[in-house]
Amino acid sequence: MWLPVIIIFVGGGLGAITRELSMLLMGRYSVAFPVDIFAANIFASFLLGLVFGLHQARRASDNVTLLVSTGFCGGMSTFSTFIYGAYSEMVTPGQLGLSFLYVIASLVIGYSVTWLGLGAATQLRRA
Amino acid sequence: MDIIDIVWVGLGGGVGSLLRWQVGRLVERHIGTPFKVGTFFINVSGAFVIAYISASLAMGWEHRYGDVISSLVLTGVLGGYTTFSTMQLDAVQMAAARRHALAIVYLVTSVGAGLLAAAAGVALARV
Repeated sequence: MWLPVIIIFVGGGLGAITRELSMLLMGRYSVAFPVDIFAANIFASFLLGLVFGLHQARRASDNVTLLVSTGFCGGMSTFSTFIYGAYSEMVTPGQLGLSFLYVIASLVIGYSVTWLGLGAATQLRRA
Repeated sequence: MDIIDIVWVGLGGGVGSLLRWQVGRLVERHIGTPFKVGTFFINVSGAFVIAYISASLAMGWEHRYGDVISSLVLTGVLGGYTTFSTMQLDAVQMAAARRHALAIVYLVTSVGAGLLAAAAGVALARV
């Protein structure tokens, strides 16, 4: 009963730390467009699609899926910082266009790489 | 940035992920619709809280680590609680089930409601 709790705690913690490392590495390039949060969200979306596909194909166990998808990907990706960043830019004079670009790019690229991850899982399944 | 900062983010990310897991299960148990109400509620509520706390403490959106509140609560707990990747996987699964319009409505309302929640959080902090 406690195993999923431990697995999700560890995965979510590692995911959040990885997102923080992304901020440390790319934070200084994120003055107007938050490339650090963008990168974390896009990477986690791809990984989530991949692990979800592998789990469906029974190539990833329930516990591995819990660790990587519910834990790591959920912990690494963030909606709150994404939206609050977009909102803050939106209400800053002159930044509306950039904020719009941030939201649209996150949604479209995030959606595409999730499909890509699922597709990669299908390829791995055939291999 | 110290090691303790990484510890706060990791702890917060673990706790936030567990919270997301439990809230998601609770909501889905009661409202199991093709529109993923669980992820939607988690993300919108997280957007409200991050905006409220950030505006209350006069923290910019780019200020995400370096002290306990921003590391543990904003980047850790709220980052772990909300999820961008699950939102994308939800949308991909809707599209895979040939509910393309629903997938678009889901993504657009998630972002729209998230922005409104952020605005409400900022407004409440200024009351």
